[in-house]
Amino acid sequence: MKAFTNFLERLGRGTGKVVGTLYQAGRDSVDQVVKNILPFMAFISFVIGIITATGVGSWLAHVLRPLASNPIGLIVMSLIVGFPVLSPVLGPGAVIAQIIGTLLGTTFASKALPASIALPALFAINPQVGCDFIPVGLALGEAEPYTVEVGVPAVLTSRLITGPIAVILAYFASFAFGF
Amino acid sequence: MDAVVASAVWFIGLFQAGAKYFTGLVTGIIPLVIVLMTAFNAVIALIGQERVDRFAVFASRPGWAYTPLRYVALPIVAVFFLTNPMAYTMGRFLPERLKPAFYDSAVSFVHPPLGLFPHVNPGELFVWAGIALGVTTGYGAATTARLAVAYLIMGVVVIFIRGIVTERITAALWKAPAQTPETVAVAGEGEAP
Repeated sequence: MKAFTNFLERLGRGTGKVVGTLYQAGRDSVDQVVKNILPFMAFISFVIGIITATGVGSWLAHVLRPLASNPIGLIVMSLIVGFPVLSPVLGPGAVIAQIIGTLLGTTFASKALPASIALPALFAINPQVGCDFIPVGLALGEAEPYTVEVGVPAVLTSRLITGPIAVILAYFASFAFGF
Repeated sequence: MDAVVASAVWFIGLFQAGAKYFTGLVTGIIPLVIVLMTAFNAVIALIGQERVDRFAVFASRPGWAYTPLRYVALPIVAVFFLTNPMAYTMGRFLPERLKPAFYDSAVSFVHPPLGLFPHVNPGELFVWAGIALGVTTGYGAATTARLAVAYLIMGVVVIFIRGIVTERITAALWKAPAQTPETVAVAGEGEAP
């Protein structure tokens, strides 16, 4: 009888833990959606709504399309966005990457750009990822001040090389993945 | 009067276009993202921080042969389990001169998994979703699924390259000042200048 009640107690505790964890996970995701995702959706809907309704969207798409429709243009885009002086400015919240991405998205929606360009485009809009955050990111890794001093220019310079490389690799991989 | 009505219609139309887009986002993205994030948040909570830390210690060893561990396995585990921005705390197990390279590869991995694992960086979902939504509209959901997988795989390749390149550049810059970390270590300071 003792063993049986013990078993029941353990079962109850275990179930409680799992259910509690799952419930907390659900609460966390809804929190994230309300705090981070929905506000950005509201913002991007407002921006996209205005620029499509006023016709600025098609003008911007005309500007972006020649840049986005061929690998050279995408490499140029990655060099601009990944340029060491610009990249930390364009980084915060990935807002620029998200807006350019959404604008490019509208050109994919209208089939103005082929699906094969989507993969390199994802890399071309994003060589500046985290460039605004290098000192904080390194500090989170408990880096010494000297490491930060060397690390900031190292990462920024590296992006100028790896940004275009990522675009080129993605461009060719795009065919391998069957786009 | 007609002009006033027409301009009012035009004015509301500006926002109706946005509202229509917003409806698409909310019904098209949020339900899936909530369910996915709940599943992965639960997995992370059940696995626990200690196990992830133990893996990080294992993956943080220096040496050329361990670059795939440092710049592929460690950033993937860090980003998946700790998410942006806590993933970068995993750098604390690495030697000082490898920290910038780890940061570079980890931070470059906060967007490629978004198509499959949105919990890693929900605040920046649209780096992926902006293009993905357009591809879905133009070329169908199957193409977008293929794109999500391709983005993830290419992300792994790119963070490996970033890790190696940044490690090299850091090493080159590290020698430039009078004091190298070796001389500091010999001097017994144990601290970078």
